[in-house]
Amino acid sequence: MTDHQDSRSLPVTDKGLALWEVVTVITSCLIGEWAVVPFAAGRGFLTAIPILLAIGFMIFSHWYRGESLRAIGFRVDNFVAAVWILILPTLGAVIVILALGWALSGSAFVLRPFRSHLFLLPLWALVQQYALQGFINRRLQLAIGGGFKVTLLVGLLFGLLHLPNPLLALLTFMGGLIWAGVYQRQPNLLALGISQALASLTLAVAIPPSVINGLRVGFRYFN
Amino acid sequence: MKKPSISLVHLLIAKSIIETLFVSTLVVVSFLDVFPHFHGLGEVTTQAVSGWAVNSRNPAERVEVQLFVDDKFVTRTVANQSRPQVVTGGWATDEWHGFTIPVSAMELGNHEARVYALHNSGRGARKTLQLLGHAVRFEVNADGTLKSLDPPGEPSPSAVREKE
Repeated sequence: MTDHQDSRSLPVTDKGLALWEVVTVITSCLIGEWAVVPFAAGRGFLTAIPILLAIGFMIFSHWYRGESLRAIGFRVDNFVAAVWILILPTLGAVIVILALGWALSGSAFVLRPFRSHLFLLPLWALVQQYALQGFINRRLQLAIGGGFKVTLLVGLLFGLLHLPNPLLALLTFMGGLIWAGVYQRQPNLLALGISQALASLTLAVAIPPSVINGLRVGFRYFN
Repeated sequence: MKKPSISLVHLLIAKSIIETLFVSTLVVVSFLDVFPHFHGLGEVTTQAVSGWAVNSRNPAERVEVQLFVDDKFVTRTVANQSRPQVVTGGWATDEWHGFTIPVSAMELGNHEARVYALHNSGRGARKTLQLLGHAVRFEVNADGTLKSLDPPGEPSPSAVREKE
């Protein structure tokens, strides 16, 4: 990408461009979380505008940079390898969340019934992992190289997007660290999506709603 | 791979502009929705605080008003009583925008009343209060009647507009 058209014609480096791409996607998410809810109460469908802009941009960026689905992580050849890396951290996360739910509920600890909307969790987790790893992680690697710096940044950004829900921000920060590290070793979004779906499902049924506030983030957290 | 004619930088700039316009539009529309201008006033009579209220955006609406005395909520009512000067003043096409809130059981002495128009927006998700006219000072006499303390000859701006 060193002879990139944008680098030649405009005063922006490839690293700067990659960072800018990350910022624009994060901005879209923050607009959806913090601007649409308070300013368009009762018109939640408007959240789709920044989300669609972000998704459209990411797809264009992949096309522009010549990234294939396989390169992004939509592949099966390394699925088993990625699952093997993820088994322990995912099991650990599930156990920690269950323990947390038990500690926070005391004797009243019960797993809440499975709600039908939770069927969408795997899809939602896959979309999140795509944006977080398939796009942000990859662009950060372009901007500042691989390694722990990128892993840490991905975790921080994932946590940031779950503010001001304190427990969720903390858990997603830690999850973001693990998933970003795994993606750098075995870029497989399907395995990461399953891992996140399991963790989210455990979170939804085990943590008291009063603590997790219905998994609400952004301005909706205060509703 | 064949590069599209539009560059990534141009797309980033375009996306930023679209998002800025989107948020700006949201803010402006939200402001207009949340804070419509209310015409009206509150004034003290011997037994009550009365006045009228009209939502400039929706003059046919019967506005809910809330009375606060000395910054404490007293009661609420709907401004749906006859007030002919609302029509003569051109604020609405019908006269049913007046209200009268009896004031009783107040301590003797001076007080300050404010009447606010309540506005719901966002399908009930947001509520705002807007002061009608200005705060009116009044005195509660020993016989329980009220006496306005607004200086005679210095009517409030709202009252002036109502006369006009």
